[in-house]
Amino acid sequence: MFRTKKTFYQRLVLFLAILGPGIITGSVDNDAGGITTYSVAGALYGYNLLWTLIPSFVVLVAIQEMNARMGIVTGKGLADLIRENAGVKITFFIFIGLLIADIGNTTTEFAGVAGSMEVFGVNKYISVPIVGFMVWFLVVKGTYKFAERIFLLFSVSLLMYVVSALMGKPNWGEIGHAVIHPQMEINAKSLAMVIGIVGTTIAPWMQFYMQSSVIEKGLEMKNYRYSLIDIVVGCVATVVVAFFIIVACASTLHVNGIQINEAKDAALALKPLAGAFASQVFAFGLFIASIFSATILPLATAFYVCEAFGFEAGIDKKWDEAKEFYVLYTGILVLSAAIILIPNAPLIGISLWSQVLNGILLPMVLVCMMLLVNNKKIMGKYVNNPLTNLVGWIAVVVLIALSVLLVFQPLFG
Amino acid sequence: MTSLTTFYLSRIIDTKALDSNGKVIGIVKDLLVDSDSSNYTSGHPSVNGIKIKFNKRMDFFAFRDFHIEKVGGKMRVICDKLTALPAEHIDGDLYLVDSVLDKQIVDLNGRKLVRVNDVRLVSIANGTYAVAVDIGIEGLLRRIGIVRPIKFMSSLFGANVSSKFILWEDVEAIDFSNLNIKLSKSYSRLQTLHPSDLADIIEDLGRKASAEVFSSLDEEKAADVLEELEIDAQVRILESLSIEKAADVLDKMPADEVADIFDALEDDKVELLLKEMGEDTSQEVRELLYYPDNSVGSIMSTEVLSFNEDATIDEVLADLKAKKPEAEALYNLFVTGENDVLIATFSLRDLVIHAPETSIRQIMRPATVHLRDYQKINEVAELVSKYNLLAIPVVDRDNVLQGMVVIDDVIDDLMGKGRTNK
Repeated sequence: MFRTKKTFYQRLVLFLAILGPGIITGSVDNDAGGITTYSVAGALYGYNLLWTLIPSFVVLVAIQEMNARMGIVTGKGLADLIRENAGVKITFFIFIGLLIADIGNTTTEFAGVAGSMEVFGVNKYISVPIVGFMVWFLVVKGTYKFAERIFLLFSVSLLMYVVSALMGKPNWGEIGHAVIHPQMEINAKSLAMVIGIVGTTIAPWMQFYMQSSVIEKGLEMKNYRYSLIDIVVGCVATVVVAFFIIVACASTLHVNGIQINEAKDAALALKPLAGAFASQVFAFGLFIASIFSATILPLATAFYVCEAFGFEAGIDKKWDEAKEFYVLYTGILVLSAAIILIPNAPLIGISLWSQVLNGILLPMVLVCMMLLVNNKKIMGKYVNNPLTNLVGWIAVVVLIALSVLLVFQPLFG
Repeated sequence: MTSLTTFYLSRIIDTKALDSNGKVIGIVKDLLVDSDSSNYTSGHPSVNGIKIKFNKRMDFFAFRDFHIEKVGGKMRVICDKLTALPAEHIDGDLYLVDSVLDKQIVDLNGRKLVRVNDVRLVSIANGTYAVAVDIGIEGLLRRIGIVRPIKFMSSLFGANVSSKFILWEDVEAIDFSNLNIKLSKSYSRLQTLHPSDLADIIEDLGRKASAEVFSSLDEEKAADVLEELEIDAQVRILESLSIEKAADVLDKMPADEVADIFDALEDDKVELLLKEMGEDTSQEVRELLYYPDNSVGSIMSTEVLSFNEDATIDEVLADLKAKKPEAEALYNLFVTGENDVLIATFSLRDLVIHAPETSIRQIMRPATVHLRDYQKINEVAELVSKYNLLAIPVVDRDNVLQGMVVIDDVIDDLMGKGRTNK
């Protein structure tokens, strides 16, 4: 029984045991906001913004790798580390910002639920309350882990976008050309679109979620290689799905000059162009992605806010033990669902502003992360190597520049 | 000097320290308090030193020559004389800003981790002491600098900003950035917690702190705590210990628990630990490790007490007194014949209610209910509930007594099942 060499089978079992944080984070990444952004980008700019996925992928892998490493080495959540090292004031402003942004993001998820169900002819006044209650019940009644696995299984359905894209008969030659030689006018609108794509692919709350799941899994530095594979697989999945959404919308809507504002519009517009099935596939993917993120996002937000301010948190605690946690969680969920149900709610505005807020918060969180991950007192010998630092800091600088442009762009007209 | 001044740590950190002429000597960066709780006066550590930053240089001074004054609602740190702080304090003291403020500490009464928003101190004639930590919302708002407006606003609505303090004697700091601190002394009060509570706390701690807290425990306590930890945490903790220390702790644990942990460890590591552990225990663990995962043998406890049927109650009791077995081992007592073949069982009750000179043969009952070591685990629960047993003997093919399965082990199994079926 005391073998020293691991067989292929043992390696596979080990990998499957470690598998999870990266792939789940990657799947949550393509949420309603993401699908909307990619659809709009495809419809508006055709294949011309596909190239943005390449730098996004590199930065995504670099950031998630840092999160995983910090989680494994310290055993502490990102919120914990920020609070302990940056003090109360910075923590307070970051987390108030994150809380507001995440309420906006959750609202977007419910908009996705409402929109996708409308494609199937279900009214939002029916779908949103039902889904909202279901999500709340799943988590509070403690069957969340089970639900997470179901969602993970369902997230394979995101690959349906591949089907949806192929049914639109894309022009592969043009796609290849557009990735290598992107042709794009640089103006305020296209810039905002680029920020939107990067921002939705690398959302700030994801960093907290990633690090917590690594800790929860109890991963070890000696299995770091497998964690890295998990992360890369998750990021590839994210980018591949994004790629096919853009292609699906570019090869049908853009070619025919159809403009859209929401992911639902994309699903509806696909119907006459690629058939009813493509449209339904698109809507179903949107529904699954929305409901998955609507479950995880409020939970993750309540969790890291409590972590930062020292309240008891966790779904294994009773309501009385972790009152702040459950109140926050329920509050975010109820508020977001309620906003959707307001007649004529400015949904596009909400999703836009939460993306802008995300864009502002992301560099702040990233700077904190870069400082933490390079702190020898915290990370010991596992501080960043020069390459990760280079990628990290370039990402920070570019993201700050983009965010500043986005925020002040209305001033320049 | 006023006879008594109370103040918050946050009110003096990053303020200017002045000399008696009002000249600035630097910025207050940290306070150093005694880290050894056995030296505390009525549970409160005294402030020994102060860390001051002047022109990018950090200096440590003895705090006894400093005093705190309240002037117009502001706190002022005033120094009468600068005396360098002895190195033993710089190395061995607890830094309030570095290791307490914003960090997680153990609330000994609530038996959980809390995050510190502020520290309350008091200055009296014979020194300055840390008296309590603030873990409430008020402390948080004070740190952000908006406690007064918020308090005013909420008073308009008749609401209160909750303030929550824990006295210093009821807390234990855990996350030391100061590596020279003698951990065993600093953590001494954690030893008073129940192993299950300590295990919960260790699971919630960061990697470094959980390893430090664990290695500060004495071997007996460490073994009890290790037993209560989740499997992930068990592996993590064992990996953080040296092989020698890990083996010492495992020696104090029941063999079946050790075997469970070993199933999750790497084979090379297991072999190293087995070589280092005491011969008897490692032999027992080795035997258990050969049983398949879902067999009775893999969960049975090998600590069983068996006697000869000719022994009298008196002799058995004397034997028990000498052996001092764990409570679990007394759930069921066994009678074995030649080659340890199981013959019968008797209980502690049987021993107590009969006359001392009665022989075991007269009180024993045939062991009709027993398990085989290679039997499947899922058949155990049924037997336990059907016969209302606390422990069932386990025998091999030749009826040789191998150990017993205790109800506690099966309960875990049953509850585990309940969870997955939900």
